[in-house]
Amino acid sequence: MMIQIPTLMDWLATLPPEVVTAAQGYVVAMILLAIILLLNRWQGLGVGNKLIVGTIRGTIQIILMALILVEIFALEDMIIIFAVLLFMATFAAYTVRGNLDYIPGVFRTSLPGVIVGGVGVMLLVTFLGIIQQRGEFIIPMGGMVIGNSMGMTSLILDRMWSNAQKQRALMETALALGATPLQATELTIREAIRSGMLPNLNRYASLGIVSIPGLMSGMIIGGANPVAAAFYQVIIFIMIFLATVVCGIIVSRLFLREMFNDRYQLTVPPPTE
Amino acid sequence: MMGVTMAFGERVLFRDLNLALNHGETIGISGPSGGGKSTLLRIAVNLVSPTAGRVLFHGKDVTEWDPRELRRSMILVPQQASMFPGNVRENLLWGLRIHRLEASEERLRDVLSQVNLPVSMLDKTAGNLSGGEKQRVAIARALLLEPEVLLLDEPTAALDDDSTEVVEESIQRVISDQDIGVMIVTHNSEQAQRLADRIIEIGNSRGGQ
Repeated sequence: MMIQIPTLMDWLATLPPEVVTAAQGYVVAMILLAIILLLNRWQGLGVGNKLIVGTIRGTIQIILMALILVEIFALEDMIIIFAVLLFMATFAAYTVRGNLDYIPGVFRTSLPGVIVGGVGVMLLVTFLGIIQQRGEFIIPMGGMVIGNSMGMTSLILDRMWSNAQKQRALMETALALGATPLQATELTIREAIRSGMLPNLNRYASLGIVSIPGLMSGMIIGGANPVAAAFYQVIIFIMIFLATVVCGIIVSRLFLREMFNDRYQLTVPPPTE
Repeated sequence: MMGVTMAFGERVLFRDLNLALNHGETIGISGPSGGGKSTLLRIAVNLVSPTAGRVLFHGKDVTEWDPRELRRSMILVPQQASMFPGNVRENLLWGLRIHRLEASEERLRDVLSQVNLPVSMLDKTAGNLSGGEKQRVAIARALLLEPEVLLLDEPTAALDDDSTEVVEESIQRVISDQDIGVMIVTHNSEQAQRLADRIIEIGNSRGGQ
């Protein structure tokens, strides 16, 4: 009897051809990553490590996700579907904390915002019957809504923290006139929420002309009627706006507890030169 | 202030400071820069807590006051006069708005004239004013809330001689027109003598009197 040792080449030969093609594209795309890293170094952006770690971590995460996606999409048990969304929201809050490791209390501030904003909006649209109660609709749409809430959260926390350092005098002037922490930061919060919405507002305004966003493309490639896909694309934008604004309002209010104490004293340390 | 001590680690700014501000009185606080004069004012309005000691306002510890009420009755005008976005009118109304109060146009004019600013200033963008003008708008903004005590932190430190003179004149007028207690921090001892009823030195290891 002959014993054959399985080789890497044998295993590769069993992969579907489209996976091999995509993997080749992935390898070549590393050239683009190298260009970003060079730009990062040249401009001193300081995001090099995050890009490298993010590429490795993101690739593993999304391949694992791809392997179980068929099962997840087939889910019809709403409790399990929303448990998946809660897991996604928790991971989002965890990610924000990792990217803003110089700010205290990020996780406990982000989590309620992403859950109420992101998962809450998904519950609402499911309850209203706007989207079908199936994993293949709720999970990817939930991913977009939670992802955008995550972006809003990190922008707000970063802005509030850096403004408390850079515009310290103005914030203390407000406090010295008897302002509450919320009154002392309302301008910062308003501007941060507005900037957080801006990229999506741009995409919204150019919808169909400049941007043919992901959900619609995916549905059309998947064989859906393009007009039906178009309606869903507008719906997802409205969901994203609602989720990000709700998330922004909650996160900003909760974060005030990290910036001020109950004597209305600013507790954010001054910037270190 | 009763036995107030402020220290950052090993560095003691002042120790066991006792100080009373009577109604209608003006106290000058002078001393070298970095000696803790500004910190003293910030302690008074509970923007920072002292390492030890207590601050009483109307016999009640400042930490027991609602911070909004405390800082409406005893207003600190910081050294760097910060302007909120918008024009001078919006800046003057800012303090009132957060306390859900309003002021007539006439009241705004009155308070501007108290600090030697023309009425035409109301519609100017606050961010474009000169240092001396900003300082006076900041004082006017505080006066509109009709505080019982005004705490002025180095009101002229960042100004040239001409502006210093105008701002000092405005402060002089506020002190004589209004029946309020004033604490004015300045590193300029001549200025302290010109404005204050009595002067306290801080920052020479032991302060107070």
